[in-house]
Amino acid sequence: MKIVGITACSAGIAHTYIAKEKIEQAAKDCGDIVHIETQGTIGTENALTPEEIKEADVVLLAVDVKITGRERFKGKKVVQISTDTAIQSPNKLIKKLHSALNVK
Amino acid sequence: MESITSVLDPKVIKIGLNAKNKHEVIVQLAELFKKANYIDKVDPFVKDIYLREREGLTGIGQGIAIPHGKSDDVKHIGVAIGILSQGIEWESLDNEKIRIVILFAVSNDTDSAKNQLKLLSIFAGRLGHKQVVDKLKKAQSVQEVIDAFK
Repeated sequence: MKIVGITACSAGIAHTYIAKEKIEQAAKDCGDIVHIETQGTIGTENALTPEEIKEADVVLLAVDVKITGRERFKGKKVVQISTDTAIQSPNKLIKKLHSALNVK
Repeated sequence: MESITSVLDPKVIKIGLNAKNKHEVIVQLAELFKKANYIDKVDPFVKDIYLREREGLTGIGQGIAIPHGKSDDVKHIGVAIGILSQGIEWESLDNEKIRIVILFAVSNDTDSAKNQLKLLSIFAGRLGHKQVVDKLKKAQSVQEVIDAFK
């Protein structure tokens, strides 16, 4: 499965980046291709390309604040959670995405 | 590019920190920051940390808490790490007692500090790795704390 996503927390200092790592590891463990963009104090990093978004099966937003560029995901299946959820149970989260999308 | 170990300063890492509660840990780590000249005054910095605490949980599970203060009082960006001698109560995602507290000090002037903030973001990302957390939990010296992030 191909996953793209964004992480963003209120201070934009720590949770954003921890959530990114947790999601990426859990997704890779499930054999997924994953690309996560971060929107933090230092701005946007690892920006998603239009191709990546187009090819993605799902858009995962682990965000606690308003993000920029949400319109890029128009017409895509978007799942939104908090950074806390991504940090606490990343494996469960990815498995849920798989079952919701009927991907093994 | 500098390595993330450059954000790990032995002057602001403390092993066997004795504290009865969350407030004592925060104040002790803030005092380390003051001594090492990262901040001007302890009180306003601590106040800014509590502002962030109100926005959400900083206990990220597995016994680790990452309070942060974004404050005009911060002169140098950095992280102070306290390994507590005893676990304490702290609002967290899994309700486990907190034994490792990593306090982030960030200035409000983020433009001039972009490089340091970038390093800090890479450092924060390391906390998402189980191997790093496991090593950190076993660390018995300042050097072992630093090595956990390598």
